[in-house]
Amino acid sequence: MEIVPYVLLSLGAVFCAYKAVRSPRLLASALYLAVVSALVSVMLFLLGATEVAVIELSVGAGLVTVLLVYALSMVGEDTQDPPSYIPKPLAFVLVVAAAGLVGWMTLPMLPLPQATRDLLLVDVLWKQRALDVWIQIVLIFSGVLGILGLLTESQTVTEDEIEPEVLESVSAVIAHQEAGLHKPELAPKSEV
Amino acid sequence: MTGLLVPSLILVPWLGALVVWRVGDSRPKWQHGLAVSFSVLAGIVSLILIPQASSDVAFSLPMGKLFGELTFIADGLSVALAAIACVVGSLAVLFAVDYMHGEHQLGRFYTFVLLFIGAMTGLVLTSNLLFLFFFWEITALCSYALISFYNDDPKAVAGGMKALIITQFGGVGLLAGALTVFGTLGTYQIPDLLARFSELTPNLLAVMGFGFLLAAAAKSAQFPFHTWLPDAMEAPTPISALIHAATMVNAGVYLLARFYPVFEHVPGWTFAVMLVGMISALITAVMALTAMDLKRALAYSTVSQLGYMVYAIGAGGIFASQFHLLSHAVFKALLFLAAGSVIHSAGTRDMRRMGGLGKQMPFVRNVFILGALALAGLPIMNGFWSKELILEEGLLHTPLWAHIGMLIGAGLTAFYTLRMTWMVFFGEPREALHAHDAGTAMKVSLGILAVGSLTTWLLAGPFSSLLERTLPFHEFHVLTLDTLAEEIFLAPATYIALGVVALGLAISWMVRKQATGPVPAALEALSRESFGLDWLNQQVVKLMSQSASAMQKTQTGEMNWNVVGIIGALVVVLGILLWSAS
Amino acid sequence: MTLFNVLIVTVACLLGVGLYGLLITRNLIKIVVVLQLLVKSVVLAFVVAGNVSGHPGIGESVAATIIVADTIVAVVALALAVQVRIRFGTLDIPKISSLRG
Repeated sequence: MEIVPYVLLSLGAVFCAYKAVRSPRLLASALYLAVVSALVSVMLFLLGATEVAVIELSVGAGLVTVLLVYALSMVGEDTQDPPSYIPKPLAFVLVVAAAGLVGWMTLPMLPLPQATRDLLLVDVLWKQRALDVWIQIVLIFSGVLGILGLLTESQTVTEDEIEPEVLESVSAVIAHQEAGLHKPELAPKSEV
Repeated sequence: MTGLLVPSLILVPWLGALVVWRVGDSRPKWQHGLAVSFSVLAGIVSLILIPQASSDVAFSLPMGKLFGELTFIADGLSVALAAIACVVGSLAVLFAVDYMHGEHQLGRFYTFVLLFIGAMTGLVLTSNLLFLFFFWEITALCSYALISFYNDDPKAVAGGMKALIITQFGGVGLLAGALTVFGTLGTYQIPDLLARFSELTPNLLAVMGFGFLLAAAAKSAQFPFHTWLPDAMEAPTPISALIHAATMVNAGVYLLARFYPVFEHVPGWTFAVMLVGMISALITAVMALTAMDLKRALAYSTVSQLGYMVYAIGAGGIFASQFHLLSHAVFKALLFLAAGSVIHSAGTRDMRRMGGLGKQMPFVRNVFILGALALAGLPIMNGFWSKELILEEGLLHTPLWAHIGMLIGAGLTAFYTLRMTWMVFFGEPREALHAHDAGTAMKVSLGILAVGSLTTWLLAGPFSSLLERTLPFHEFHVLTLDTLAEEIFLAPATYIALGVVALGLAISWMVRKQATGPVPAALEALSRESFGLDWLNQQVVKLMSQSASAMQKTQTGEMNWNVVGIIGALVVVLGILLWSAS
Repeated sequence: MTLFNVLIVTVACLLGVGLYGLLITRNLIKIVVVLQLLVKSVVLAFVVAGNVSGHPGIGESVAATIIVADTIVAVVALALAVQVRIRFGTLDIPKISSLRG
């Protein structure tokens, strides 16, 4: 009976993931993603990986969602959800084949043995993979720079700073699409 | 010591390439000077390396499990070929100082030449099959870039493309062989292959053997791939001398010689090698008879002489083939460079417009005659000794008809050599061409090569003992100069061969007045179409470029379709895994 | 159905949904969402694999690294998407591609 919570969590996560993919509105997608992230982090917690669960919850469900919503508020939501060029049946067959094969090949492996807590995450990270951790710190730093780019550059780039040829091509596109160029809207469209 | 010399032999030219490129085209004097100094330095290092040859690993660099160790072995075969590449390379660069004077984009020229020299030495020195393939491909790339050096000339671009595609086609054979070795023996090391090839099944050995033969035939422009070399003559002449006469085209012969002990016992392999060599030697000799373009005539003769070397390997005469390779590299580089100075001053490659140029450029005429004598195989020139050695091996180890075929080839060689020399330097001037003798740099490199073509046969003794000492898997018997002379002068085959050569010369002399006139139509047509094989080669090239543009359509640049490709590949890989596990 | 089976089926289903999303999505920002979904499934798979192998710490450390790396990918991709939207006025990838040259 211990598997019941897992089954429920799993069903919820897959359902929300499907909704995130199919939802026509980007904001709804982002929120469904946050729900998936939260459900997965609960599963991780139940599995005993508390540290990863905490990171997943705070980063996956928190930070990424905030960033997504913020980015959406900057660009304004593209309401239209253009259909893909890929025929739906082809996409379906490919995906079922790939995911099915992955599942099929992993299933016959050993059942879950009694987890021995001989090697803790902290030990692995700080003793065996110390170099990786430093590299991750550099990575995080570059991520911060990325956020800075997202925040500052987009606000300072105005039309007169764009090079004329870019502007020309942009206006050509506008004329072609017969749709106005959306000015970046800085006010969030909806509350988080 | 060798551990330091071997990598420096590759890195010095590559460093030179980098430096010359960085100096920039605005300082041509610096570029000339730097290119000459780096290539001469490489030449000196390569000469220092020769006495230190041994069969031990000279330098090794671990490259992880997948690639094996990047090892270099400086044995006799390697150091000899490396020395040819570096010395002829430095002479060609020296020659280019005059030849390329005032040309644009010198940086591109010298960069690729130096890159080529480094890659060629790497090719012959490495003992890791995978890296052999890498160096093989770098030389092909440099060859392509230099054939197409005058890239506003569509003929040059097409010639470069043809050379690139055909040598790539052969490179696949080499790669397949290398991967087969790794798959079965778990190593890329050539000495391991030579020691343990008996662990491979005969079928696998046969596939590898013929794959290597394919690679060698494509690289050395042998039948049926011989048509790319004449088209490669659009390159600047120092390139033709260096890459398409003295070094890169020898890589195929080197490959066959290097792996001869492995494939010797594959049924039909030696026969196929011999046949490829013989057919190439004969048909290109016929094509050289009708060529009116000086450089194309020399290119046909290069294919023909490479055919002699391949034939010698088929006959089991590894030393004979390598000895002829040495002689040929020297005298053919001499001929090409002399032809280069003629073309440079006369401004045309068409021999019908030349004639009587000998009076205006006596130095070039004299060295060209020396090279021509060596090519025709007349006594005491280096070409004489090596060619007689090949013919003797052929008489001993191949069927009589093959030997007779090669004798006829020798006669044809004498014929076209005299025809060529006569048309360019003698007779009445057919057009008032204002030719001037070669410049100083040209004269220096021509002079050194001329002395070489008179004297390199003296190296037969040391060369054979070097090979015998450092190649543990090949069978050589040491051949001193005395025994060589004895063998050659006492064998009746020598006199028959000399008789055929004399006959060729005599016929050529008699018909010399008609040389500029129209050649028999049938022969001309056959030669122009390379006996129908040019069609075959063009089909290969066409197929390659068509499939390339067909593949282009799959690159839509649309992310969704790219993802379809990625997931499809994932499904295929997982399917293979599942299938192979069950 | 053991616990292991349930978890593997979950991983495979999340993977399938994510791949399907990659196939049908043309919007740059939505692609970031879909990539995040894929990564959830991979993180779960690594933690499960760590448990199976008996050394959960190793699987967890890899999972943590993946979360860090993928968050940075998401951040940079979002920044790029915003810039693209401002410059080209669209987030539709085929339309952006047709602007090249």
